[in-house]
Parts: sequence; C-alpha cells; structure tokens
Amino acid sequence: MQLIVTAINKAYSSVHAVKNVSFHINSGEIFALLGPNGAGKSSIIRMLVGMTNPDSGSIMISYQSQHYDHVPRRLLGYLPEDRGLYPDKSIEKNLLYLAQLHGLSKSKALSEMEYWLDVFELTARRHDELKQLSKGNQQKVQLIAAVLHQPALVILDEPFSGLDPINQEKVVLFLQQLKAKGMTVILSAHQMAMVEKLADHMLLMAQGQVVLAGTLQQIQQQSQNQRQMKVGFSSEVNAAQLGQLDAIVSVQQLQARHYMLTLAEQASVSDCLKQLLQYGELTQVEMQSADLHQLYLAAMARHKPEVAL
Amino acid sequence: MISRQSLIVARWEFLRFFKWKQQLVSYLLMLAVIAAIALWSFFTDESQQQYRIAVPQELQITNTEQFQFQRPGIALETQLMQMQSDDSWHAVISLHDGQLVVHTVTGKKWLQQLDEVLQKHYRHLAAQQMGLDGAQLLALEQPVQIETRYLDQAYKGKDTPEKMIAIGALILLFVGLSTAFGQVLVSITGEKQQRVTEQLYAIVKPQQWMDGKVLGHSFSALKAMLTSALVMLLSFAVVSLFAKKTVDLSWLDISVVLWLIPFALLGVVLCASFMGAIAASIDDPNNSGKSAVMMITWLPMILTFIVIDSPAGMGMTLLSFIPLTSFAAMPVKMAMVTMPWWQPLLSLLLLLATVYWMRRVAGRVFLRGMQMYGKEPSWGDIVRWALSNKTE
Repeated sequence: MQLIVTAINKAYSSVHAVKNVSFHINSGEIFALLGPNGAGKSSIIRMLVGMTNPDSGSIMISYQSQHYDHVPRRLLGYLPEDRGLYPDKSIEKNLLYLAQLHGLSKSKALSEMEYWLDVFELTARRHDELKQLSKGNQQKVQLIAAVLHQPALVILDEPFSGLDPINQEKVVLFLQQLKAKGMTVILSAHQMAMVEKLADHMLLMAQGQVVLAGTLQQIQQQSQNQRQMKVGFSSEVNAAQLGQLDAIVSVQQLQARHYMLTLAEQASVSDCLKQLLQYGELTQVEMQSADLHQLYLAAMARHKPEVAL
Repeated sequence: MISRQSLIVARWEFLRFFKWKQQLVSYLLMLAVIAAIALWSFFTDESQQQYRIAVPQELQITNTEQFQFQRPGIALETQLMQMQSDDSWHAVISLHDGQLVVHTVTGKKWLQQLDEVLQKHYRHLAAQQMGLDGAQLLALEQPVQIETRYLDQAYKGKDTPEKMIAIGALILLFVGLSTAFGQVLVSITGEKQQRVTEQLYAIVKPQQWMDGKVLGHSFSALKAMLTSALVMLLSFAVVSLFAKKTVDLSWLDISVVLWLIPFALLGVVLCASFMGAIAASIDDPNNSGKSAVMMITWLPMILTFIVIDSPAGMGMTLLSFIPLTSFAAMPVKMAMVTMPWWQPLLSLLLLLATVYWMRRVAGRVFLRGMQMYGKEPSWGDIVRWALSNKTE
C-alpha cells in the first residue's frame, strides 16, 4: 500500500485550515501528524477518511496494483477524535456490530475480538456495558474497533489522549503490533515521547502548514542549527525574562532553577552565557542534542513565538 | 437495492429498541390503567343508587328505579333543614307560582337524570291536557326513521364495518408513526451526541447507513402497529365474551386488509425517511427546533380523517393520489368506496417512487450534514441538498 498526498488545501469559510500539504506513506509505516490544536491535523485526517474533500490537490492510494483517488472504506480503520460507541451496549455487542459492518463473518469477528480483548486485558469484561468502563478502557475498545477487520490503513486521531502513562505504553505496544502485522498507521498526537518511539515518518504542522517533515533523524538534521543548552542557576530566575534574551529562542523549565534553552541561530554560546550571567550564578551548563519535544517546541516557536513558553 | 450493511444496521436498530420485557410491562400497565378506569366508573356510577326526593302533595309523579318521590307533609323549610342535617332527602322539589324548583345540597351528576324524569312527567301531563292517549304520546316521542339511498353504487355506505376498518387503519398509522418519530429522533441525534456517527461514516456509505436506519425503525413501527392491532382484536374478543356474544370477525374484509398492508408499509418507510432526513440535519436536539417538523408526518392522517365522511369527494380523491398523503387516504377510500383496480395500483406506484426519492434525500442530508460537523444546516441548505445528486 502506498498513500500519496499532493498539495492539498482546505478552507472553512474564512479559515484556511490546510495549506498546500504534501506527504507520502509507504506500506507498513507509522506516520505521525504533529502540531498544536488548530494546526490542521484533524482536517487532513477527515480528508483522508473521506468525510470532506480537498479544495485542491489530490489523495492517491495504491493497494494490490489498484489505484484509487480516495481511501476505500474497506481498507480503512479509523479512530475519530470525537470518540464514542453505544454506551448501553456491551463491549462484545459493540465490537461485533462494527466488525460485521466491516464485512467480517460472526465467527471471524469473534476470534479477532477475543485476540484484541486479550491484548488489552479486557476479556473478563466483554459482557459489561460500555458505560460501566473507565475512560481509558473505553478508549481501548475504540482502538480495537478500529483494527478488528485488519485494515490495510489505520488512521488514529489522538490515540494517546485521555490515557494514563501505563495505558499510553500499552497503546505504543498495540501500534507496534499493528506495524508487525503489516498495517500502515497514521496517527496524530501531542505526546512527543510516544511518537519518537514509534513513528517512521512525521509531519510537524502549524497553522495548516508543514513546518518540519521526515524521519526523526532527518528532522534533527534539518534543525541542526537548533542548539540546546541545559543550564542550572544557583537561585530562582524568571523563565519569561530568559525567553526575552536575544540569544535564546525558547525556554523550557526542567526542574527548580534548571532550564533547557534553545539558542538563536546566530547566537554564539559565549554570548549566550554572558547574557545568562546577568541573572545569577550558573551551577550547570551542558550542550544537548534536541529531542523531538524540543524540536517541536522550537519549530513552533519559530513559526509562532508566543507558543514557546 | 438494499445492501448487506444496511440490513445489519436495520437489524441493530430494530433490536436496539426492541425490549420485549419493557413492552410487556407497558401493555400490562395499560391494561391495569383501563381496568382501574372501569372500576372507578363502576364504583362512582350514581345511576346505580336510589334517591329520595321530597315533592309537594300536588305533584303526582310515579317512582322510578332510581328516584323515590315522597310527599312528607311537612313545611318546606323543615324539609330543607332535614336535607342539610341528615340524609332524609337527596333533593326537595317545591312549586313557586307554577315554577318547579329543585333544592339540593350541591351539584351532582344524577340531577340530570332527575331533570329528565321530571321533563317526561310534565310532557305526559301536557299530552293528557291536550287529550292525547298513551299511544299517541309514544308515537310523538318516537324519532323519525330516515333511510338514505345512494345512487353511486361504488359507495359502500356511511356507518359500515369498512369505515371501522378505515378508522382502525388510521389509528394504527398514528401508533406506527409515533413509534418511528421517537425512535428515529433518539437514534440519529443520539448517535451524533454519543459521537458514533463519525466512526460509522468510515465504515458504511451514508446511503447504506440511512437505509438501515429507515428500515430498522420502519420495522419497529410495523411491529408496534401489529401488536396494537392484535391488542385491539383481543380487546374486541374479550368484550364480546363478557357480553356473552360470539366473536364475530366477519366484518373484517380481507381484500381491504391486503391492500392496506403495502400502503401502510410504504407510508411508514416514507415517513421514517423524512424523519431521518430531518433528524440527520439536527446537530443538538436540545437546541434545535427542527424536530417539531417531524410531526408533519401526522398530517396525512388528520387530513384524511377530516374528509372521511366524503370518501368519494374531491378532497379524498386528491389525498389518495398525492404520494405524500396517499398511504393514509387510499386505504380509507378503498374501504368505503369500490374502485377500479388500477387506481390503488397507480397510487401505490407513485408512493413507491416517492419513497425511493425520499430515502435518497435522507442519505444526502446525512452526508452533507456530516461534512458540516458541528454546524446545523439551514432549511435552504437542506432543500439544496435534497435537489442535488451528490451521494458521496
């Protein structure tokens, strides 16, 4: 399977939600769409699912030597951002209904359901009504519903939202399983640590535009000028004031009196240190290679400085 | 035609609202309420009791089963005091300047019956004064028998059993459409509120989804109509048995009933499609006035009922061919007027075409409504979508 998105645009009345976005995804990849709220991720997902059409540009998918100008429903598994199933029906009834709508026979649907309920440790609760489950467990059921029919392409809008760290890890394992089964996954997320572990390719978006794109390595290379410095002060300083310095693009407080600074492209380390010393005695200075979270923050800061802090 | 997915949705929707235990309980509750009303009526029936009425000496009125007229021979004031202090009298009648006055403690239903007895007594007195004998008076009191003969051989008559079938059909349609009204609204807007719709949209085509919804709720409506019809027949049988009559169902014209079924079926599907289109355009049922429009589906029955006594008239003819009203009007007309076979057939075909168009409209409204997520379409939008051809 290969998905090629070329120069798509989407506008809603006065809002240009998606601006000239292109990307391609190969079979078996995990592809992450990253960006703050309103970046255009859900608009792209809705176009991929076929709920809306792009105003211009194209979405092409190839699967088993067939070419389509939209994602066929039979190839698709979808977890919407606005989640919901039938709260007064049991897990089993909900899943069997959706699986049968996907075209699975009852016996096949049952065996698939049992497999995934076991993965998410929900087997004992299969006859419970959905409303009796915690929010996290409901989300797991929704994830199962998206993949029960073994789709070629799984689109998950914010799969980690509303989950505690343990369940987030379970979702990471779940996604790795999907990849192992040969499914292609597109996900949107804010949880950079999770995405870093999973995604083969990613697209960082802001205000409908692509800010950074590629593998984690490619993004790091694209941002190689983006130097990070971990500093510690002997006394408390105002992070907002540090952010105002010419040599610094963004500030992230790590713990009390310790900060991660992203240096401006032209600024030298010595200039930066001179400016920092105005605020107090330094107890720690350490240059760092930026992780995805920092790259993301820096990219957002470049695109819209006020989101840096 | 109907896809496998639509049938799965239809089955799900039908079973989702098919709660036989609750339904059984509701029928039992309904019977209990009817029984309670019957018992209440029985125990509060004042006509079963006897009443003592004090009358003046000169009023020579005969006792009836209900009223015992007595002439106590004491002063009126004393009679009135007795009436107020104990149960000596239920009413006291006096004459003042030839005017009859009924004194009683408070308003009671049996006073009407007393009034009738007094009226009859005075009619008899007047007849005697005019020199009429009993037979003459009886002849005067008899209503005139008027028979109406209709030259139109097709008209089956005014108060025939067929008319009862027609009225029964209208009542059943009311029952069915009320069921569909509630279920379609709850089902579609509920799914939107519970955020299931977006999930389903990624699985089935909007038209398949809407077809399934319409079909499922039409089956529910038909089930409600069928069970109501059975309850009606059962009640009829029970009443016949209690009245020690044999259960006579010869009035049930099977040929009319057979025509009734396809009209009812298509009528319910047409209305469910219309309701589905309106419900699909509602984003939040708590803040939308559109749900009231769904009650328009009751209009065909009301319009038909208004012209039920002129089944061969222009109004009924018009209603029986307009596809939006024919499902209610044509069976009624057929029950009361003999018609050439092609007329109901033509009406049925027009209705079928309208059902096909309406389900397409409902599918389109759902599709476009989904694309507007979070924003409720205007009536102008809905009309534009209804007239467009877009299905995906």
